[in-house]
Parts: sequence; C-alpha cells; structure tokens
Amino acid sequence: MRKTYYLFNPGRLARKDNTLQYTAYDEDGLPGQVKYLPVEDVADLYVFGSLDANSSLYNFLGKQGISVHFFDYYEHYTGSFMAKEYLLAGKLQVQQTQHYISKPKRMALARKFVEGSAFNLLKNLRYYQGRGRDVAVYIDQIEGYVAALPHAAAVPELMGLEGNIRQTYYAGFDRLVPGDYSFGTRTTQPPQNELNALMSFGNMLCYAACLSQIYHTQLNPTISFLHEPGTRRFSLALDLAEVFKPLLVDRLIFRVLNKKEIQPKDFVQDLGRCVLKEPARKTVVRVFEERLKETIQHRSLKRSVSYQHLIKLECYKLTKHLMQLEEYKPFKAWW
Amino acid sequence: MYVLLVYDIKEKRVGKMLKLCRRYLNWIQNSVFEGEITEVKLKELLAKAADFLDTDEDSVLVFKSRSQEWLQKQVLGKERNQLDTFL
Repeated sequence: MRKTYYLFNPGRLARKDNTLQYTAYDEDGLPGQVKYLPVEDVADLYVFGSLDANSSLYNFLGKQGISVHFFDYYEHYTGSFMAKEYLLAGKLQVQQTQHYISKPKRMALARKFVEGSAFNLLKNLRYYQGRGRDVAVYIDQIEGYVAALPHAAAVPELMGLEGNIRQTYYAGFDRLVPGDYSFGTRTTQPPQNELNALMSFGNMLCYAACLSQIYHTQLNPTISFLHEPGTRRFSLALDLAEVFKPLLVDRLIFRVLNKKEIQPKDFVQDLGRCVLKEPARKTVVRVFEERLKETIQHRSLKRSVSYQHLIKLECYKLTKHLMQLEEYKPFKAWW
Repeated sequence: MYVLLVYDIKEKRVGKMLKLCRRYLNWIQNSVFEGEITEVKLKELLAKAADFLDTDEDSVLVFKSRSQEWLQKQVLGKERNQLDTFL
C-alpha cells in the first residue's frame, strides 16, 4: 500500500529524476541531507512545516495522482492540492445532486450519518462503562436524543440533535481522561484548553483522511447531505468524518492521554489559545497513522481491512445508495 | 511484498539504475535499496531496468520477503538513510 508522508520540517521538495527529492532545512535555513521519496510509493503528502516547491513539482504530483494537504502554524487545515479528477462519473454526479435537492432523500442520508456517529460514540462510552468509569447518565441522555432522531423534520433540527449528543458526550469525556484535563465546553478557532486542542487537531487529520478516500471514488466531495454544501470546503468529508471521528479521533485522545504519550507539558497556552508543541504533534500523527493502518476482520467481506479502507468502503456504500442499488447503512463498530 | 534490491552495474549505466530505483524504493546504501512494493510494480521496475542493462556484465539481485516483519535488519556503524515517513 502506498504511504502517506508527513512533512514537519521546513524544506524543499522538488522533482528530480522523475521522483521526489526532499531537502530539509536546519534552524539557520541551510539545506541538510537530501532524501529521495519513491514517487511510486507515495499516496499523499501532509505538509505541516513550510515547504518550498515550484510548479514543475505540482505538475508532476498531479500526473502521479498525489494530493497535498496543507496545515498552518496553528494546526488548521488550510487547503489541498488535488490532482486532476481521474474518476469522472456524470451519472453519479447527477444522482448525488438529486439526493441533495430532494428534501426527504437528503434527510434520510443525513439522519444515517448522525445515527452512525451516535452509535459509535456510545460504543466508546459503553466500553469505559464496562471498565468501571461511571458514565451511565450520559449514555442514557444520548440514547434519549437518538430516539428523537427519526422525528427530526429538517436538517437544522438534525444538526441540533447532533450538537446535543456531542455536548453530552463531551461532558462524559472528563471521566475518561486523567484528572489533569477537563473538557469544559467545546471551543474551536481557537481551542481554549488541552482537550479541545487535541480534538481539533485530531478532527482535522480525520477530515483530510476522509477527503483522500473520497477522492479515490467517484463521489463529488463538495456535495454533502448533513452539512450544508458549498459553505465550507469539501463538506462531504465532514459528513463521512462524523461517523469515523469517535473511532479514529476520540479513541486516539483517550489512548495518548491515558498512556501518558502526551502530557500537560506538551501544550503551549498563549493569547487565549492552546496548541500542541511540535514533538507532541508528531506523536499524535504517528498514532493516527498507526490507527489508519490497523486492520480488523470485516464481517461481510470476510477478510481483514484497515481503518483507512473502511472509510473507502463507506464511500462505496454511499455510491450504491445514490445509484439506488442498496440502501446506505452507516458504519457501526461491532467490536 | 518487502524487497531488498542490490545491483552491481558497470559505471556507464549505474546512474540510470540509481535514478530508476529511487522512483520505486528507498535508497539505503550505495547500490542497495529496500522498501514495500507490489508484485506488479516490481515487474515494472525490472522491465525498465532490463531495457538498458547489459546482462553479460551487470547483475541485479532481488530478495523478496512477504512483509517487513519477516526481515530482520541489523545495522553496524552509521545508518546512511533512515526510512521514515515523518520528515
């Protein structure tokens, strides 16, 4: 399987001998060791540091179908360079748009996304309930919201319920992580405390991972169902990420905090914002990458698949739903 | 599939081989490459190499293993290129 490369150091990436040449810069801005990345083995690039590159590189990346995701100093996703679309499917495009325009069709899909998300986050809570953390109150409360899902009449109402579910879930967070942390309320742009900072960073990785997978299917990443399309970047990735966030991001947070892979000293607080320090950022990305590569035994496919592939399978299911071949069932963790 | 590719090629053509291998595998030492590669990609690499190699003088060896876990690597002295996807 092709690999994702994460560029943290400032450096220069260039096309050289039909492959990628990476030169890292040291603190004084002087070029260090030259490394070659095997272009045939690169899936995509995540750029966190400052990167020098020219258009000949991007032309080359475009031809190779390698996308580049950019993140700014404050760990926000800022945008992507995507290679020319290579999987065009007009029929699906029309269907996708139709599913967005028709209110009942859109609602059906949007509801599924919230359902999947709620199921997976309840799974997390139940797991910890079984391990002696008392989160029963929150589970009950969330189940109440889930029961209300079928009665929601419009998408904003659904988003509201989704918000309630998340809020209750976050309240339960405090009992699942070590005592040094407290979630408080969810704050973004900028995140105010450690848990929020971790959550924002993790979510961002999750969005990019979903987008990368959508790109390899024929779906159009800008037409979404739960989130409003067009108002923000590739919003279909946000829809999909909703289902996977509890598994990929939340569990990651529990892991790095409970195993003390990330500690309070790994954060910087200034100007009313909290961000991860560079080494901690690397730790999180490494754990995230490990998780994406981790495999599970798929029940209906009867073979082991990685989490990354699960996201792609989700896209396929969505495609089938849009083409009216098979009804979409959101991914629900069964273990 | 995880492979180790070693070549011994006359100076005239060695640069070509180096450039070709860089596209598919990670350079670890002069004339030595390793990395994860698919069956087809490896065939592609070898086919491209066969185009310019002189089989009377040059040799290319490929050691295949099912996955990286089946390959124990021990380094004595300086590791010339660390393989990492975090740069």
